[in-house]
Amino acid sequence: MRTAVLSCIHGNFEALNAVLSDVDDQNVDRLFCLGDLVGYGPHPNAVVEMIRSLDIPTVQGCWDEDVVEGLNACECSYPSLLAEKRGRQAHEWTNQEIHPEVRAFLAQLPHTLRDGNLCFVHGSPHSNHEYLLPEIDAFVAMERVLSTGADILFCGHTHVPYVRSLDSGELQIKIQQSKQDQSISFTTPLKRIVNAGSVGEPRHGRPNATYVIYDDSTDQIALREVEYDYQKTCAAIVEKGLPAIFAWRLSKGMEFAERADDPTHICER
Amino acid sequence: MSYWAILSGIEGNLAAYEAVLKEIQRQRVEALFVLGDVISPKADNEKLINRLTSPRRGELVPQVCQGWWEEQLLILHGLGRVGEPTELIDRYGIQMTKTLWDSVPRHLVQWIQSLEFGIFEFDCLLIHGSPVSVSDELTPETPPIQMLDRVMRMDANYLFCGRSGLAFEYEVQQGKVLTTVTTLDRQSEPEPTSLRPRKIIGVGNIGRTAGQATYTIYNPDTNALKFCTVRYDSAKGFQTKR
Repeated sequence: MRTAVLSCIHGNFEALNAVLSDVDDQNVDRLFCLGDLVGYGPHPNAVVEMIRSLDIPTVQGCWDEDVVEGLNACECSYPSLLAEKRGRQAHEWTNQEIHPEVRAFLAQLPHTLRDGNLCFVHGSPHSNHEYLLPEIDAFVAMERVLSTGADILFCGHTHVPYVRSLDSGELQIKIQQSKQDQSISFTTPLKRIVNAGSVGEPRHGRPNATYVIYDDSTDQIALREVEYDYQKTCAAIVEKGLPAIFAWRLSKGMEFAERADDPTHICER
Repeated sequence: MSYWAILSGIEGNLAAYEAVLKEIQRQRVEALFVLGDVISPKADNEKLINRLTSPRRGELVPQVCQGWWEEQLLILHGLGRVGEPTELIDRYGIQMTKTLWDSVPRHLVQWIQSLEFGIFEFDCLLIHGSPVSVSDELTPETPPIQMLDRVMRMDANYLFCGRSGLAFEYEVQQGKVLTTVTTLDRQSEPEPTSLRPRKIIGVGNIGRTAGQATYTIYNPDTNALKFCTVRYDSAKGFQTKR
Protein backbone atom coordinates (compact mmCIF):
# COMPACT_ATOMS: atom_id res chain seq x y z
CA MET A 1 0.00 0.00 0.00
CA ARG A 2 1.25 3.48 -0.87
CA THR A 3 0.48 6.18 1.69
CA ALA A 4 0.94 9.88 0.97
CA VAL A 5 1.40 12.18 3.96
CA LEU A 6 0.91 15.94 3.70
CA SER A 7 1.43 18.60 6.32
CA CYS A 8 1.38 22.35 6.98
CA ILE A 9 -0.79 23.50 4.09
CA HIS A 10 -1.28 26.90 5.75
CA GLY A 11 -4.12 28.18 3.61
CA ASN A 12 -2.17 27.77 0.38
CA PHE A 13 -4.79 26.40 -2.02
CA GLU A 14 -2.55 26.59 -5.09
CA ALA A 15 0.07 24.42 -3.44
CA LEU A 16 -2.52 21.93 -2.17
CA ASN A 17 -3.97 21.50 -5.66
CA ALA A 18 -0.53 20.93 -7.11
CA VAL A 19 0.30 18.31 -4.49
CA LEU A 20 -3.01 16.51 -4.95
CA SER A 21 -2.36 16.35 -8.70
CA ASP A 22 1.09 14.91 -8.03
CA VAL A 23 -0.43 12.38 -5.60
CA ASP A 24 -2.80 11.32 -8.40
CA ASP A 25 0.19 10.58 -10.64
CA GLN A 26 2.00 8.49 -8.01
CA ASN A 27 -0.39 5.53 -7.64
CA VAL A 28 -1.12 6.44 -4.05
CA ASP A 29 -3.73 4.36 -2.23
CA ARG A 30 -4.51 6.73 0.62
CA LEU A 31 -3.60 10.07 2.18
CA PHE A 32 -3.02 11.37 5.69
CA CYS A 33 -2.68 15.01 6.69
CA LEU A 34 -0.67 16.28 9.67
CA GLY A 35 -2.55 19.53 10.29
CA ASP A 36 -1.84 23.26 10.11
CA LEU A 37 -4.48 23.62 7.43
CA VAL A 38 -4.76 27.33 8.21
CA GLY A 39 -2.55 30.28 9.16
CA TYR A 40 -0.14 32.48 7.13
CA GLY A 41 -1.90 31.75 3.83
CA PRO A 42 -4.79 33.49 2.05
CA HIS A 43 -7.25 30.60 1.52
CA PRO A 44 -7.94 28.82 4.83
CA ASN A 45 -11.59 28.01 4.06
CA ALA A 46 -10.88 26.55 0.62
CA VAL A 47 -8.09 24.36 2.00
CA VAL A 48 -10.22 22.97 4.82
CA GLU A 49 -13.13 22.36 2.46
CA MET A 50 -10.86 20.41 0.11
CA ILE A 51 -9.46 18.23 2.91
CA ARG A 52 -12.97 17.63 4.24
CA SER A 53 -14.46 16.80 0.86
CA LEU A 54 -11.71 14.26 0.15
CA ASP A 55 -12.24 12.76 3.61
CA ILE A 56 -8.50 12.76 4.34
CA PRO A 57 -7.71 11.57 7.90
CA THR A 58 -6.15 14.63 9.54
CA VAL A 59 -4.62 15.50 12.90
CA GLN A 60 -4.80 18.93 14.49
CA GLY A 61 -1.88 21.28 13.97
CA CYS A 62 -0.73 24.08 16.26
CA TRP A 63 -2.34 26.78 14.09
CA ASP A 64 -5.59 24.80 13.93
CA GLU A 65 -5.48 24.47 17.72
CA ASP A 66 -4.75 28.16 18.25
CA VAL A 67 -7.57 29.26 15.95
CA VAL A 68 -10.00 27.05 17.85
CA GLU A 69 -8.81 27.70 21.38
CA GLY A 70 -7.36 31.20 21.02
CA LEU A 71 -3.72 32.20 21.29
CA ASN A 72 -2.54 31.26 24.74
CA ALA A 73 1.17 30.73 24.43
CA CYS A 74 3.83 32.62 26.30
CA GLU A 75 6.45 34.69 24.50
CA CYS A 76 8.25 31.43 23.71
CA SER A 77 6.15 31.03 20.55
CA TYR A 78 7.97 33.86 18.85
CA PRO A 79 11.68 34.61 18.55
CA SER A 80 11.15 38.38 18.61
CA LEU A 81 8.54 41.06 19.20
CA LEU A 82 8.38 41.70 15.47
CA ALA A 83 7.75 38.03 14.74
CA GLU A 84 5.09 37.98 17.44
CA LYS A 85 3.38 41.02 15.95
CA ARG A 86 3.26 39.41 12.49
CA GLY A 87 2.13 36.09 13.91
CA ARG A 88 -0.69 37.73 15.81
CA GLN A 89 -1.75 39.64 12.69
CA ALA A 90 -1.97 36.39 10.75
CA HIS A 91 -3.81 34.69 13.59
CA GLU A 92 -6.37 37.49 13.87
CA TRP A 93 -6.90 37.64 10.11
CA THR A 94 -7.42 33.86 9.93
CA ASN A 95 -9.65 33.93 12.98
CA GLN A 96 -11.96 36.47 11.32
CA GLU A 97 -11.84 34.85 7.90
CA ILE A 98 -12.76 31.26 8.66
CA HIS A 99 -16.34 30.05 8.49
CA PRO A 100 -18.05 28.54 11.56
CA GLU A 101 -18.18 25.06 9.99
CA VAL A 102 -14.44 25.28 9.26
CA ARG A 103 -13.74 26.17 12.89
CA ALA A 104 -15.97 23.28 14.00
CA PHE A 105 -14.06 20.91 11.71
CA LEU A 106 -10.69 22.05 13.08
CA ALA A 107 -11.98 21.69 16.66
CA GLN A 108 -12.77 18.00 16.29
CA LEU A 109 -9.44 16.96 14.79
CA PRO A 110 -7.52 14.45 16.93
CA HIS A 111 -4.01 15.05 18.25
CA THR A 112 -2.77 11.67 17.02
CA LEU A 113 -3.76 9.04 14.47
CA ARG A 114 -2.53 5.44 14.47
CA ASP A 115 -2.65 2.91 11.68
CA GLY A 116 -0.83 -0.36 12.31
CA ASN A 117 2.84 0.42 12.88
CA LEU A 118 2.43 4.02 11.70
CA CYS A 119 1.70 7.02 13.88
CA PHE A 120 0.74 10.49 12.67
CA VAL A 121 1.18 13.71 14.68
CA HIS A 122 1.70 17.38 13.87
CA GLY A 123 4.63 18.38 16.11
CA SER A 124 5.50 15.46 18.36
CA PRO A 125 3.56 12.81 20.30
CA HIS A 126 3.88 15.09 23.34
CA SER A 127 2.80 18.41 21.87
CA ASN A 128 1.58 20.10 18.68
CA HIS A 129 4.17 22.78 19.39
CA GLU A 130 7.31 20.65 19.73
CA TYR A 131 9.73 20.73 16.79
CA LEU A 132 11.31 17.39 15.93
CA LEU A 133 14.30 18.76 14.07
CA PRO A 134 16.60 16.30 12.27
CA GLU A 135 19.48 17.23 14.58
CA ILE A 136 17.78 16.63 17.96
CA ASP A 137 19.57 14.13 20.15
CA ALA A 138 19.16 10.61 18.78
CA PHE A 139 17.92 9.22 22.11
CA VAL A 140 15.34 11.98 22.45
CA ALA A 141 14.21 11.22 18.90
CA MET A 142 14.02 7.52 19.77
CA GLU A 143 11.85 8.27 22.80
CA ARG A 144 9.41 10.23 20.65
CA VAL A 145 8.88 7.22 18.36
CA LEU A 146 8.85 4.61 21.14
CA SER A 147 6.31 6.59 23.18
CA THR A 148 3.78 5.99 20.39
CA GLY A 149 4.35 2.23 20.12
CA ALA A 150 4.78 2.69 16.34
CA ASP A 151 7.73 1.91 14.07
CA ILE A 152 7.38 5.03 11.95
CA LEU A 153 6.39 8.40 13.34
CA PHE A 154 5.15 10.90 10.74
CA CYS A 155 5.35 14.54 11.82
CA GLY A 156 5.41 18.01 10.29
CA HIS A 157 5.65 21.44 11.97
CA THR A 158 9.28 22.20 10.97
CA HIS A 159 8.38 22.70 7.28
CA VAL A 160 11.56 20.87 6.21
CA PRO A 161 11.12 17.25 5.07
CA TYR A 162 13.46 14.52 6.18
CA VAL A 163 13.68 10.84 7.08
CA ARG A 164 15.63 9.95 10.19
CA SER A 165 16.45 6.29 10.80
CA LEU A 166 17.28 5.21 14.34
CA ASP A 167 18.76 1.76 14.22
CA SER A 168 20.17 -0.75 16.73
CA GLY A 169 19.21 1.32 19.79
CA GLU A 170 20.64 -0.01 23.06
CA LEU A 171 20.63 1.08 26.68
CA GLN A 172 22.37 -0.51 29.64
CA ILE A 173 20.59 0.12 32.93
CA LYS A 174 21.57 -0.58 36.52
CA ILE A 175 18.97 -0.26 39.27
CA GLN A 176 19.55 -0.28 43.00
CA GLN A 177 16.49 -0.50 45.19
CA SER A 178 16.04 -1.92 48.69
CA LYS A 179 19.73 -2.90 48.68
CA GLN A 180 19.22 -5.10 45.61
CA ASP A 181 20.97 -4.61 42.29
CA GLN A 182 19.40 -5.29 38.94
CA SER A 183 20.81 -4.87 35.44
CA ILE A 184 18.67 -4.41 32.37
CA SER A 185 19.61 -4.42 28.70
CA PHE A 186 17.18 -2.52 26.55
CA THR A 187 17.28 -2.89 22.78
CA THR A 188 15.07 -1.58 20.04
CA PRO A 189 14.86 -2.40 16.32
CA LEU A 190 14.79 0.17 13.52
CA LYS A 191 12.55 3.15 14.19
CA ARG A 192 12.02 6.09 11.90
CA ILE A 193 10.86 9.69 12.08
CA VAL A 194 9.48 10.98 8.80
CA ASN A 195 8.89 14.70 8.51
CA ALA A 196 6.48 15.46 5.68
CA GLY A 197 7.73 19.03 5.18
CA SER A 198 5.19 21.61 4.16
CA VAL A 199 2.74 21.86 1.30
CA GLY A 200 2.01 25.55 1.67
CA GLU A 201 4.90 27.22 3.49
CA PRO A 202 8.11 25.32 2.70
CA ARG A 203 11.37 26.20 4.42
CA HIS A 204 13.86 23.90 2.74
CA GLY A 205 15.33 26.68 0.60
CA ARG A 206 13.08 26.47 -2.44
CA PRO A 207 9.45 27.59 -2.90
CA ASN A 208 8.20 24.17 -4.02
CA ALA A 209 5.61 22.24 -2.04
CA THR A 210 6.82 19.09 -0.28
CA TYR A 211 5.19 15.89 0.99
CA VAL A 212 6.14 12.20 1.42
CA ILE A 213 5.03 8.80 0.17
CA TYR A 214 5.52 5.62 2.16
CA ASP A 215 5.33 2.28 0.35
CA ASP A 216 4.85 -0.54 2.86
CA SER A 217 5.58 -3.26 0.29
CA THR A 218 9.15 -1.99 -0.20
CA ASP A 219 9.41 -0.15 3.13
CA GLN A 220 10.68 2.85 1.15
CA ILE A 221 9.95 6.49 1.88
CA ALA A 222 10.08 9.04 -0.92
CA LEU A 223 10.40 12.78 -0.27
CA ARG A 224 8.45 14.61 -2.97
CA GLU A 225 9.01 18.19 -4.14
CA VAL A 226 6.34 19.74 -6.36
CA GLU A 227 6.59 22.95 -8.35
CA TYR A 228 3.54 25.19 -8.55
CA ASP A 229 2.67 28.81 -9.24
CA TYR A 230 3.68 30.16 -5.84
CA GLN A 231 3.57 33.73 -7.12
CA LYS A 232 -0.20 33.44 -7.33
CA THR A 233 -0.30 32.68 -3.60
CA CYS A 234 2.17 35.46 -2.86
CA ALA A 235 -0.05 37.94 -4.69
CA ALA A 236 -3.11 36.74 -2.77
CA ILE A 237 -1.25 37.14 0.57
CA VAL A 238 -0.52 40.79 -0.23
CA GLU A 239 -3.97 41.41 -1.69
CA LYS A 240 -5.72 40.07 1.43
CA GLY A 241 -3.72 42.36 3.70
CA LEU A 242 -1.59 39.70 5.36
CA PRO A 243 1.99 40.74 6.30
CA ALA A 244 4.02 40.98 3.08
CA ILE A 245 6.90 39.12 4.73
CA PHE A 246 4.82 35.92 4.43
CA ALA A 247 4.79 36.34 0.64
CA TRP A 248 8.51 37.07 0.60
CA ARG A 249 9.47 34.00 2.60
CA LEU A 250 7.10 31.80 0.58
CA SER A 251 8.86 32.94 -2.58
CA LYS A 252 12.24 32.08 -1.03
CA GLY A 253 11.17 28.84 0.62
CA MET A 254 12.84 29.78 3.85
CA GLU A 255 12.22 31.02 7.33
CA PHE A 256 13.23 34.65 7.64
CA ALA A 257 16.26 35.31 9.80
CA GLU A 258 14.44 34.97 13.10
CA ARG A 259 14.44 31.53 14.63
CA ALA A 260 13.50 30.36 18.10
CA ASP A 261 16.50 29.89 20.38
CA ASP A 262 15.16 26.65 21.80
CA PRO A 263 12.98 24.78 19.31
CA THR A 264 12.39 21.92 21.77
CA HIS A 265 10.84 24.25 24.33
CA ILE A 266 7.20 23.44 24.93
CA CYS A 267 4.95 26.19 26.18
CA GLU A 268 3.25 25.03 29.36
CA ARG A 269 0.16 27.18 28.79
CA MET B 1 33.24 17.03 52.82
CA SER B 2 29.67 18.33 52.62
CA TYR B 3 26.35 16.76 51.88
CA TRP B 4 22.89 17.59 50.63
CA ALA B 5 19.78 16.23 52.32
CA ILE B 6 17.00 15.70 49.80
CA LEU B 7 13.45 15.15 51.02
CA SER B 8 10.07 14.78 49.39
CA GLY B 9 6.45 14.27 50.47
CA ILE B 10 6.35 15.67 53.97
CA GLU B 11 2.57 15.82 53.41
CA GLY B 12 1.99 18.00 56.45
CA ASN B 13 3.59 15.46 58.80
CA LEU B 14 5.46 17.76 61.15
CA ALA B 15 6.60 14.96 63.48
CA ALA B 16 8.28 13.19 60.60
CA TYR B 17 9.93 16.39 59.41
CA GLU B 18 11.21 17.15 62.92
CA ALA B 19 12.65 13.65 63.17
CA VAL B 20 14.50 14.09 59.87
CA LEU B 21 15.77 17.55 60.82
CA LYS B 22 17.14 16.12 64.05
CA GLU B 23 18.85 13.33 62.16
CA ILE B 24 20.47 15.52 59.49
CA GLN B 25 21.83 17.89 62.12
CA ARG B 26 24.14 15.04 63.09
CA GLN B 27 25.51 14.87 59.55
CA ARG B 28 27.55 17.47 57.69
CA VAL B 29 24.61 18.64 55.62
CA GLU B 30 25.12 22.00 53.95
CA ALA B 31 21.97 22.17 51.85
CA LEU B 32 18.43 20.96 52.41
CA PHE B 33 16.11 20.39 49.46
CA VAL B 34 12.41 19.59 49.74
CA LEU B 35 10.96 18.24 46.50
CA GLY B 36 7.33 19.16 46.96
CA ASP B 37 4.20 17.67 48.48
CA VAL B 38 4.84 19.69 51.58
CA ILE B 39 1.10 19.92 52.16
CA SER B 40 -1.64 17.34 52.37
CA PRO B 41 -5.40 17.88 52.54
CA LYS B 42 -5.77 16.43 56.02
CA ALA B 43 -2.80 17.96 57.81
CA ASP B 44 -2.06 21.11 59.76
CA ASN B 45 -0.36 22.72 56.81
CA GLU B 46 -0.03 26.12 58.45
CA LYS B 47 2.13 24.73 61.23
CA LEU B 48 4.30 22.82 58.78
CA ILE B 49 4.75 25.75 56.40
CA ASN B 50 5.64 28.04 59.29
CA ARG B 51 8.26 25.51 60.38
CA LEU B 52 9.70 25.37 56.86
CA THR B 53 9.77 29.11 56.32
CA SER B 54 11.07 30.02 59.79
CA PRO B 55 13.94 27.66 60.61
CA ARG B 56 15.39 27.86 64.08
CA ARG B 57 18.79 29.33 64.81
CA GLY B 58 21.53 27.19 63.29
CA GLU B 59 19.13 25.24 61.07
CA LEU B 60 19.37 25.16 57.30
CA VAL B 61 16.90 27.15 55.20
CA PRO B 62 15.20 24.53 53.03
CA GLN B 63 14.96 25.06 49.29
CA VAL B 64 11.47 23.91 48.38
CA CYS B 65 9.96 23.17 44.98
CA GLN B 66 6.37 22.56 44.00
CA GLY B 67 4.73 19.15 44.37
CA TRP B 68 1.51 17.55 43.19
CA TRP B 69 -0.61 18.72 46.14
CA GLU B 70 0.70 22.27 45.80
CA GLU B 71 -0.14 22.25 42.09
CA GLN B 72 -3.68 21.04 42.83
CA LEU B 73 -4.18 23.80 45.40
CA LEU B 74 -2.97 26.45 42.95
CA ILE B 75 -5.38 25.13 40.33
CA LEU B 76 -8.23 25.53 42.84
CA HIS B 77 -7.14 29.13 43.36
CA GLY B 78 -6.99 29.76 39.61
CA LEU B 79 -3.19 29.97 39.71
CA GLY B 80 -2.23 26.60 38.23
CA ARG B 81 -0.92 25.61 34.81
CA VAL B 82 -4.35 24.25 33.88
CA GLY B 83 -7.77 25.69 34.51
CA GLU B 84 -9.70 22.75 35.96
CA PRO B 85 -8.79 20.42 38.87
CA THR B 86 -9.60 17.41 36.72
CA GLU B 87 -6.75 15.24 38.00
CA LEU B 88 -7.63 15.91 41.63
CA ILE B 89 -11.30 15.06 41.11
CA ASP B 90 -10.51 11.95 39.05
CA ARG B 91 -8.25 10.65 41.81
CA TYR B 92 -10.05 11.65 44.98
CA GLY B 93 -13.58 12.77 44.04
CA ILE B 94 -15.22 16.19 44.04
CA GLN B 95 -15.28 16.46 47.85
CA MET B 96 -11.51 16.66 47.90
CA THR B 97 -11.60 20.09 46.24
CA LYS B 98 -13.17 21.57 49.39
CA THR B 99 -11.02 19.53 51.78
CA LEU B 100 -7.85 20.71 50.05
CA TRP B 101 -9.07 24.31 49.77
CA ASP B 102 -9.84 24.40 53.50
CA SER B 103 -6.53 22.82 54.48
CA VAL B 104 -4.35 25.81 53.55
CA PRO B 105 -5.10 29.32 54.84
CA ARG B 106 -5.37 31.85 52.06
CA HIS B 107 -2.39 33.93 53.23
CA LEU B 108 -0.09 30.92 52.63
CA VAL B 109 -1.15 30.43 49.01
CA GLN B 110 1.23 33.14 47.87
CA TRP B 111 4.14 31.25 49.41
CA ILE B 112 3.05 28.09 47.59
CA GLN B 113 2.75 30.03 44.35
CA SER B 114 6.29 31.32 44.81
CA LEU B 115 7.76 27.80 44.81
CA GLU B 116 9.89 26.82 41.83
CA PHE B 117 8.82 24.01 39.49
CA GLY B 118 12.27 22.52 39.93
CA ILE B 119 15.74 23.44 41.19
CA PHE B 120 18.95 23.12 39.17
CA GLU B 121 22.13 22.87 41.25
CA PHE B 122 25.46 21.96 39.64
CA ASP B 123 24.56 19.12 37.22
CA CYS B 124 21.56 18.01 39.30
CA LEU B 125 17.90 18.63 38.63
CA LEU B 126 15.81 18.42 41.79
CA ILE B 127 12.10 18.16 41.03
CA HIS B 128 8.90 16.58 42.31
CA GLY B 129 7.77 14.63 39.23
CA SER B 130 9.90 15.29 36.15
CA PRO B 131 10.48 18.16 33.71
CA VAL B 132 7.26 17.03 32.01
CA SER B 133 4.95 17.68 35.00
CA VAL B 134 4.51 17.29 38.75
CA SER B 135 2.28 14.30 37.99
CA ASP B 136 4.93 12.39 36.07
CA GLU B 137 5.81 9.45 38.32
CA LEU B 138 9.21 7.91 37.66
CA THR B 139 9.86 4.47 39.15
CA PRO B 140 12.28 1.61 38.37
CA GLU B 141 9.48 0.14 36.23
CA THR B 142 9.24 3.21 33.98
CA PRO B 143 10.42 2.36 30.43
CA PRO B 144 14.21 3.01 30.17
CA ILE B 145 13.90 5.34 27.20
CA GLN B 146 11.36 7.43 29.11
CA MET B 147 13.68 7.66 32.12
CA LEU B 148 16.49 8.79 29.85
CA ASP B 149 14.26 11.34 28.14
CA ARG B 150 13.28 12.90 31.47
CA VAL B 151 16.86 13.39 32.62
CA MET B 152 17.97 14.61 29.18
CA ARG B 153 15.21 17.19 28.87
CA MET B 154 17.11 19.56 31.13
CA ASP B 155 20.49 18.12 30.18
CA ALA B 156 21.13 17.07 33.78
CA ASN B 157 23.43 14.26 34.87
CA TYR B 158 21.37 13.57 37.99
CA LEU B 159 17.62 13.85 38.32
CA PHE B 160 16.31 13.68 41.88
CA CYS B 161 12.56 13.13 42.08
CA GLY B 162 9.98 12.38 44.73
CA ARG B 163 6.65 11.70 43.06
CA SER B 164 6.71 7.91 43.48
CA GLY B 165 7.74 8.05 47.14
CA LEU B 166 10.21 5.25 46.41
CA ALA B 167 13.91 5.32 47.22
CA PHE B 168 15.91 4.03 44.26
CA GLU B 169 18.99 4.70 42.17
CA TYR B 170 18.51 4.20 38.45
CA GLU B 171 21.57 4.53 36.27
CA VAL B 172 21.61 4.68 32.49
CA GLN B 173 25.17 3.41 32.24
CA GLN B 174 25.60 3.50 28.50
CA GLY B 175 23.65 3.65 25.29
CA LYS B 176 24.11 3.72 21.56
CA VAL B 177 22.05 4.19 18.45
CA LEU B 178 22.90 4.47 14.78
CA THR B 179 21.25 7.34 12.92
CA THR B 180 20.91 8.30 9.27
CA VAL B 181 19.22 11.46 8.02
CA THR B 182 17.91 11.82 4.48
CA THR B 183 16.77 15.20 3.20
CA LEU B 184 15.74 16.35 -0.28
CA ASP B 185 19.34 17.23 -1.03
CA ARG B 186 21.48 14.66 0.75
CA GLN B 187 21.76 11.45 2.70
CA SER B 188 24.10 11.29 5.66
CA GLU B 189 26.36 8.34 6.45
CA PRO B 190 25.16 6.21 9.38
CA GLU B 191 26.37 8.02 12.49
CA PRO B 192 26.78 6.29 15.85
CA THR B 193 25.58 8.24 18.88
CA SER B 194 26.46 7.32 22.43
CA LEU B 195 25.61 8.94 25.73
CA ARG B 196 27.27 9.74 28.99
CA PRO B 197 25.98 7.98 32.12
CA ARG B 198 23.01 9.63 33.81
CA LYS B 199 21.15 8.86 37.00
CA ILE B 200 17.57 9.19 38.17
CA ILE B 201 17.19 9.02 41.92
CA GLY B 202 13.95 8.44 43.76
CA VAL B 203 14.52 10.22 47.08
CA GLY B 204 11.93 8.41 49.21
CA ASN B 205 9.06 9.89 51.19
CA ILE B 206 8.93 11.62 54.55
CA GLY B 207 5.36 11.81 55.69
CA ARG B 208 3.23 9.16 54.03
CA THR B 209 4.05 6.19 56.28
CA ALA B 210 3.47 6.91 59.96
CA GLY B 211 6.54 6.26 62.09
CA GLN B 212 8.97 5.98 59.19
CA ALA B 213 10.57 8.67 57.04
CA THR B 214 12.94 7.99 54.15
CA TYR B 215 15.18 10.60 52.55
CA THR B 216 18.41 10.87 50.55
CA ILE B 217 21.86 12.12 51.41
CA TYR B 218 24.00 13.13 48.43
CA ASN B 219 27.59 14.25 48.22
CA PRO B 220 27.93 16.63 45.24
CA ASP B 221 31.73 16.29 45.31
CA THR B 222 31.92 12.52 45.07
CA ASN B 223 28.36 11.83 43.80
CA ALA B 224 27.93 9.29 46.59
CA LEU B 225 24.31 8.52 47.51
CA LYS B 226 22.81 7.16 50.69
CA PHE B 227 19.18 6.43 51.49
CA CYS B 228 18.34 7.03 55.15
CA THR B 229 15.31 5.88 57.09
CA VAL B 230 14.35 7.54 60.35
CA ARG B 231 11.93 5.83 62.71
CA TYR B 232 10.01 8.10 65.01
CA ASP B 233 7.09 7.96 67.41
CA SER B 234 4.16 8.89 65.20
CA ALA B 235 1.62 8.67 68.03
CA LYS B 236 3.49 11.44 69.83
CA GLY B 237 2.70 14.13 67.36
CA PHE B 238 1.43 13.21 63.93
CA GLN B 239 -0.08 16.69 63.77
CA THR B 240 -3.31 15.74 62.13
CA LYS B 241 -5.46 18.79 61.81
CA ARG B 242 -8.35 18.80 64.24
